[in-house]
Amino acid sequence: MKIVNLPCKLALFSLFFLLLTGCWDQTEVEQLAYVVAIGLDKPEDVKEGLVEITYLIANPQSGAKVGGDEPPREIISFSVNDFINARNLANTVIAKQISYDLLRFIIVSEEFAKDDDFIKWMYDATKATDFRRDLRILVSKESPSTFMQNNEPLVDKRPHKYFDLIFKRGKETGTIPPGELFSFYRITESDANVFLGVYATTEQEEEGARQEDSDQIIAGEFDSSGETNTTQFAGSAVFKEGKMIDTLTIEETRLSFLLSNIFEKPREILTAMPDPFDEDYQLTTRIQRDGNIDMNMDLEKEKPTIDVTVPIVLEVMTNHSMNNYSDDVKKREKLEDSLEDTLTQKFEDLIKKTQEEFGAEPFGWSLIARKEFLSIPEYEEFNWMKTYPEMEINVNVNLRIDKFGRQIRLPDLDEVRD
Amino acid sequence: MLQKLFRGKKEKRAYNGSKLDGDMSKDNSEKIDSELTKTVNIFKTIYSYPDNQDVTIRNIHINGLNKDGALLFISTITDTKVIDEYVIEPLLKNQDSEVKIDDLVSVPSISKTTAIADICTEVNNGSAVLFVDEETQAYILNASNFESRGIEKPENETVVKGPKEAFIEKASTNISLIRKRIKNENLVVETQTVSKRSNNVAYIVYIKNVTNDDIVDKVKSRLHTMDVDAVQNLSLLEQYIEESHVSIFPTVLNTERPDRAVSFLEDGYVVLLMDNSPDSLVVPATFWSFYHTSEDHYLRLPYGNFTRVLRLFALFVTLFTSALYVAVVTFHVEMIPPDLLLAIASTRELVPFPALFEVLLMEIAFELIREAGLRVPSPIGPTIGIVGALILGQAAVEANIVSPIVVIVVALGGLSSFAIGDISMNFAIRLSRFIFVIAAGVFGMYGMVALFTLGVFYLVSIRTFGVPYLAPMTPTYKSSKDTIFRKMLQNEIFRPGYMKPKDMKKK
Amino acid sequence: MEQPQGRTGGKIGIKEFVAIVVIMIGTKITDDTTALLFKPLLNAAWMVPVINGILAIIPVALLMKVSTHYENKDLIDVSYHLFGKYIAFFVLFILWFIGFCFIVVDTAIYTDIIGTMYYLRTPSIVIYGLLMFVCAYGARKGLENIGSVAWTVYPYLQASLFVTLLITFSQGSTNFLFPLFGPGALEVIKESSFTISIYMDILYVFILFPYVNRTKDFKKGTWIAFALIAINMALALISYIMLFDYHSVAMQSYPYHEALRTINFAFLTNLESFIFPFWLIGSFVKFTAYLYINLLLFAKLVKIEQFKYLIPTFATLIVFLGLIAENPAVTMHQLKQTIAYITSPMFFALPILFWIVAKWKGEFKK
Repeated sequence: MKIVNLPCKLALFSLFFLLLTGCWDQTEVEQLAYVVAIGLDKPEDVKEGLVEITYLIANPQSGAKVGGDEPPREIISFSVNDFINARNLANTVIAKQISYDLLRFIIVSEEFAKDDDFIKWMYDATKATDFRRDLRILVSKESPSTFMQNNEPLVDKRPHKYFDLIFKRGKETGTIPPGELFSFYRITESDANVFLGVYATTEQEEEGARQEDSDQIIAGEFDSSGETNTTQFAGSAVFKEGKMIDTLTIEETRLSFLLSNIFEKPREILTAMPDPFDEDYQLTTRIQRDGNIDMNMDLEKEKPTIDVTVPIVLEVMTNHSMNNYSDDVKKREKLEDSLEDTLTQKFEDLIKKTQEEFGAEPFGWSLIARKEFLSIPEYEEFNWMKTYPEMEINVNVNLRIDKFGRQIRLPDLDEVRD
Repeated sequence: MLQKLFRGKKEKRAYNGSKLDGDMSKDNSEKIDSELTKTVNIFKTIYSYPDNQDVTIRNIHINGLNKDGALLFISTITDTKVIDEYVIEPLLKNQDSEVKIDDLVSVPSISKTTAIADICTEVNNGSAVLFVDEETQAYILNASNFESRGIEKPENETVVKGPKEAFIEKASTNISLIRKRIKNENLVVETQTVSKRSNNVAYIVYIKNVTNDDIVDKVKSRLHTMDVDAVQNLSLLEQYIEESHVSIFPTVLNTERPDRAVSFLEDGYVVLLMDNSPDSLVVPATFWSFYHTSEDHYLRLPYGNFTRVLRLFALFVTLFTSALYVAVVTFHVEMIPPDLLLAIASTRELVPFPALFEVLLMEIAFELIREAGLRVPSPIGPTIGIVGALILGQAAVEANIVSPIVVIVVALGGLSSFAIGDISMNFAIRLSRFIFVIAAGVFGMYGMVALFTLGVFYLVSIRTFGVPYLAPMTPTYKSSKDTIFRKMLQNEIFRPGYMKPKDMKKK
Repeated sequence: MEQPQGRTGGKIGIKEFVAIVVIMIGTKITDDTTALLFKPLLNAAWMVPVINGILAIIPVALLMKVSTHYENKDLIDVSYHLFGKYIAFFVLFILWFIGFCFIVVDTAIYTDIIGTMYYLRTPSIVIYGLLMFVCAYGARKGLENIGSVAWTVYPYLQASLFVTLLITFSQGSTNFLFPLFGPGALEVIKESSFTISIYMDILYVFILFPYVNRTKDFKKGTWIAFALIAINMALALISYIMLFDYHSVAMQSYPYHEALRTINFAFLTNLESFIFPFWLIGSFVKFTAYLYINLLLFAKLVKIEQFKYLIPTFATLIVFLGLIAENPAVTMHQLKQTIAYITSPMFFALPILFWIVAKWKGEFKK
């Protein structure tokens, strides 16, 4: 074969060589097991330094034409040193290579999150190359393995879709914080704020669940019945210095959203407010932050003061006392004043709680305060985390009622009943 | 002068063996004899008369002058009616004894020559030759009539808007089509014989006061250095004059549209024509001339640019979709949105082959259908192609040999490849596609990008007749910037600077 | 077959020149050079390219004055002319050696980026080999073609960076930029002057002077490229800070790639694989240009006419030198830091020296 000259031969040879051997990073899609969520828990009765890993693996076959009757997911739990190492150990049970390409969530048990060593495992995620930095941190009341097993959505069965939708909706309604991993790192490293993770559970509280205010609940306290999933995503887990210290209710989470410039504005917060004209009723309102909050800081003083002005735009959706606010300026003013007072009170309560119970705020005000300093040493000298509990904080709500629902006027109740 | 050069070359070859024995008699030095019978006998031997069926020798007696004459022509390529009416009849009926032969014969073109070789060339080109007794020169009467078809619509470069004439296999008609569009005395049509035995002639067309002399000279010298017996047509000639013979990128443009050829002429390019070629060659060709079509300029600016965008998109789709699929599925799984990823994974679950092999299999099948579709007799061709592709794809999916998504990917790439009209560029893109698929299979995106970078380096380093392949984009030249997009006609005021035209401005 | 030749016999135009320079130096913001700046300067790191840029105007302007004074003489000829045979050789050799070290260190780091960020299981030698193969092929094509390629791809590279920055800006927070002066205003200026070597590569650009069409183009092109690089660098550094805050960013080896992993756009959650190809093209072109310029300098030093034949040898040498380091992310980074500290004063002093000698010899009066 004189036709094929040497360079050609070499090229062909190297091509085949590469084709045969050069498949180092080559993996076929169908030979991967896609982990959607990783659970981390403290194993019981095992020596220190181990962690219980739970994998929630999506099954691509679910809903496919062939083999569509396979279950949508697979769950496996075991104890291991860290979740990098876990990938190999999982293969003793799982047939395919574990892939973190679809990984979107880290589920941590409340008990483990409150452990001092928790942060050490969290930093493993910065080492693994295929870990995305925008993973979300979810704290479950029970152990993650129980959480995942109990979580059986009836309709959105495919786990990645289910979590995706829950989070998207939660973000829009402001019931759960974003809880992204990179902000966890950032907040932990800067040591000035607390981080809000998502709080969830599959176990419903048995008694006294239903509280007076339907918003003052966290996951597990929402009383739902019927034929549906028992999992609840509500409220946030508060992490201070990389360790969980407390929880926030739905309302508190929403108030945090309103008080912070850092969080993305939730699109629709629907909440009930006391009706100033009738104590028996409540007004359902849609609240939005109207632009950024305005902060006025005086940090030079012995006792630093902060004046916070929160611009709120509000829409009154229901009107059970059947008052026609729209026609009466005085009534409107009264309504506005009342709502402003309620909100201010709520904000103040939350701030007080953060000052006294957490000793740090989740609103990211320290970032705004950074503008007051010229250099990082000065700022670190000030020590926001330490100073915060002693600060004097004045909240001022700047309320604007935007609309009164679709149909503005209501019939006079007395006339109707007459 | 060039003819002389050419002859000189041939003499050198004459002693090169028995190959040219038949042509020995055409030696330039040999002249015709003044004695008619001797001359006629020479030509009888040359043309193997009377074995050679269509060679005709007609002996006539010219009345009035009272001389014998003989008319030699090849009847199949000569217009016998013209010879009959305008040559034979006047010669026979002449009564005047003082008149010259030139004045007797009423064909439009007449010339005299003495050399046997020249006479042979003329006869081979369809002229009739009149020998007259006691005269040392022969009269060459132009009455050639080669058979060819009429002007038809272009078949490969179709347009919706714009002229619908195409070149045919007759060079004189083609030149006429060009002259019809450039009515200017500066349009020059030179000829040059490019083969030794068949004496094929190439016509070099350019505009004298626009085209740079260097380029014309380069083209001529390339044609001149060819050393072959026969070049049937331009498609073969193209391969003799192109720069690199193994490069996958074409460097000479082949167009069957006279309007396209003319627009290149007007920009200072050189156009080559030949008999037996229903097209023309444009030299030098840049990458952009393969990417453009004539319709881009016939359509209004927004529409024209829209089709350009589509074509560019099609080009990239053809090049990259299959490779991208392979790279993404085997190396960069994280690129795919979750739902799609799971969908792909579930369809691939039952496919026994790795993705690279799966794609190659489908690609080859597609190319096979395409090639077979071309060779199939025309009435059933298109049906076979489409039906074959659909049925094959469908069946392959149902048999779990390929996953449905691969059929989509390959079909999309294959379909897009049709948007690149020029056949040479089409092949270049289709071939590169395979290389990209393999690169993607070996190294994923890294391999693809490495190959792409190598490709770009190669592309910019190509020179055709001294013109950079990606000019005027890079290196930059003064031009109308007709590259990816075209400009408003009013703004296209410069000829391409890389052609170094004698007249830079178009208006 | 005719010799491949461009319109100006291998010279490049202003567009190509700017593209080469910007790609050569501008790609620094995507590697670990940023780590050099973030560690000492935290969130004020973005000021470095600006302050440095202003500082670097002095040496660049002086060198510009000296080298453009002699038409058709490159840096090498000029230094021979000014310093005499031995000193010039010594200075240029040092310059070449530093350049060579830069190539080895940088290619090793880029291999490491590709290896740790995208190709975990592929052996370094294969990644490195392919990288240098492409660069060697490109360098063999000569300056004119390198320029053409640089100009062809530059708009897309710039656009991809721009898109990344835009998304990063929209997903980051401006608050992270404060306190404005990071570790303190004085510190910023001090550290800036230590790291002025990020513009060191401009020295090598002067070797290209005789290959640029016109002196005017060279002058204009250098300043345009200089400004583009400074702007790109500052914007990129700002975007990293806005996304990660200074604590996180100071700990990262390759913030650009971390940023790509963090941001998302619409339904595309993993943007890194979409931007990666553009970054790769940029890297290929960058090292092609480096390799070419370095070899040009070397060839002039040892007086080799046909240095194209040296390219494959050098490329292979670089691969093996680069592979010596066991842990490129750490060792190469430290080496780079050391070189940066050493070369910073040199970058400042050398052009001034050129100018003083030229002035002293009365060259400008001629």
